[in-house]
Amino acid sequence: MLVLWQMLVFPGALFLISGSLLIAWLDRKIIAKLQGRVGPPWYQPLADMLKLLSKEDIMTVDTDALMATLLPLLAVASTLAAGMYIPVGNRAVMSFEGDLIIVVFLLAIPTLGYFLAGWASGGVYGVLGGNRSLLQYFSYEVPLLIGLSAPALYSGSWQILALMDAQRAYRWHLFSLPVGFFVALIGLIGKLKRVPFDIPHAKTEIGAGPLTDYSGRKLALWKLTIMLQTLVGLNLLVAVYMGGADRMWGAWGYLIYGIKIMTLLAGLAAVQALYARLRIDQMAQLGWRALVPLGLAQMLIALWISGG
Amino acid sequence: MTTVRLPIGPQHPLLKEPLSLQIDVAGEQISEATVRIGYVHRGIEELTRCRSYVQNVHLIERICGICSHIHSTTYCQAVEALLGIEIPPRAAALRVLLCELERIHSHLLWIGVLGEAIGFTTIFMYAWRDRELVLDIMERLSGGRVSHAANIIGGVRVDLGAEEIALIEQTLDTLETRLSLYRDLMVHDRPFRLRTQGIGRLSLETVQALGIVGPTARATGVDVDMRRDAPYAGYGGLSFRVIVGSEGDVWSRADVRQQEIAQSLSLCRQAIRALPEGDLAVRAPARVPEGEVVTRTEAPRGELIYYVRSDGSDRPARLKIRTPTLPALMSLAGLLRGVQAADLPVVIAGFDLCIACADR
Repeated sequence: MLVLWQMLVFPGALFLISGSLLIAWLDRKIIAKLQGRVGPPWYQPLADMLKLLSKEDIMTVDTDALMATLLPLLAVASTLAAGMYIPVGNRAVMSFEGDLIIVVFLLAIPTLGYFLAGWASGGVYGVLGGNRSLLQYFSYEVPLLIGLSAPALYSGSWQILALMDAQRAYRWHLFSLPVGFFVALIGLIGKLKRVPFDIPHAKTEIGAGPLTDYSGRKLALWKLTIMLQTLVGLNLLVAVYMGGADRMWGAWGYLIYGIKIMTLLAGLAAVQALYARLRIDQMAQLGWRALVPLGLAQMLIALWISGG
Repeated sequence: MTTVRLPIGPQHPLLKEPLSLQIDVAGEQISEATVRIGYVHRGIEELTRCRSYVQNVHLIERICGICSHIHSTTYCQAVEALLGIEIPPRAAALRVLLCELERIHSHLLWIGVLGEAIGFTTIFMYAWRDRELVLDIMERLSGGRVSHAANIIGGVRVDLGAEEIALIEQTLDTLETRLSLYRDLMVHDRPFRLRTQGIGRLSLETVQALGIVGPTARATGVDVDMRRDAPYAGYGGLSFRVIVGSEGDVWSRADVRQQEIAQSLSLCRQAIRALPEGDLAVRAPARVPEGEVVTRTEAPRGELIYYVRSDGSDRPARLKIRTPTLPALMSLAGLLRGVQAADLPVVIAGFDLCIACADR
């Protein structure tokens, strides 16, 4: 029973979904404030979601119906599954040695699904957007993985809970491995396809990219995936680099945990407000010429310090 | 590599006005581009022949939703030349003021559109917010934000009181401070420069062969500006600098426009500080003597030419408009060939195309 409660309610599906809606609202609100706008009311992401869910589900004649239906489900499911492994507060639904790798793998599935969704939609914008998202995947995934493995090598464990334990008493990996954090954060922005890496859905070039020909429930699920990815990704960074929840504070730990996530989110929002979109070649250059060498250097330093 | 045909328009998030581009993309590179126009053709030139000269002022103003005032100014100038009447100095100064205000908001609008094209939405929001300040003045003066109906044949219809002058002075000061943001953007912002420098570069030969005008030509190094070369309205007595760039790329065009806004602010100040007293308009007869005339003005996007022929009745026998957008459109397909698909919005938005003007 407890496992079922944990999976479906807290810290599982229901918590993750409502949390991601809240995060999506905060994100939009912060960006709006930075841009001198008013921004949406708190229930806007929920309202958007309900509206999309109730809308007619249209598929073009070129759409591969099976793929188009299955892919968003798969994307939501794998993102939720990734969320189960990441501790919220100090509890995770499941945890074992090596779950960091599982999480990275599970978080990669929506990206591949996104590419396939573009391909399955049969539209020009979808295909181009899909290609771009795959190209982008090769540019950010390696830095992200390197950025996440540095703390694992440093602390000698590939279990997220163990990594959190290693950071107790404010020995955050953020302080010991700042470059790794930076690389992982940029990798995460790439994964979330946010400015300046919103290349696969650059609206002034290819409309909504892979999602151009989607509507109704399918689009709602894709939007949900992206919101969930934001929460899960930030959660992961907080757990691996910012000490996760501080157990010594008891219930206050959750609040502090929330504050950490908000801080990162505010950073992402500021980046969104301050940058222009890069071109795909500029992004690949950034990924391979700057982030990968930096990340590798950080990995070596982590190995050297930990005496491995 | 397979080639995909990418339709941009007539309806597309990039375009503010209907224009159709068929883009052949191989991978991420554009191999061929075709431009189709005519989606907002309203037959205005023909319509002018069915209306009287006075009615036409209001029709002409509806050619464009951004540079409406310069169209009616040019038209009125043409008719006034045919009639052989001179507008009062106060009217001339007010026309200058409105033209320059219009240039400021048009340039700000374009900087915003360019920002949005490269995914820089903050610039879009800021530029359009600042543009509102100018539209507020317009609304205060004439009652209309974009269609001012400020010109009549023989002069203008709007006047400034002490209160309006104070409002304009205050807004100009605000804009002056806001302008530093755009200056910083052009000079210091690295992502902005990465996306605009060296993109959509026009050569001097292309500019001269196609007759490209306005800020686009000036960014290539062509020193041309009707306000200085053929002064009209009250421009004769005002001092300003014609901004000339050298690179010819989108960045250079943005930089030229940004500096032109500063010049326009100064022109507005000069116009209201030395505002002559006197009548706003002289009476113009309804019938226009036989003859033909060509008038040129500097619209926000470049040289605007009106040709009017009269057969002695109260309606024009022929009216021909040459807008600055058309030559720019002609260079578009050539410029798009070979560029990255991701630079497509920058190249297109980089022209400040006004499709409504071009199609009429």
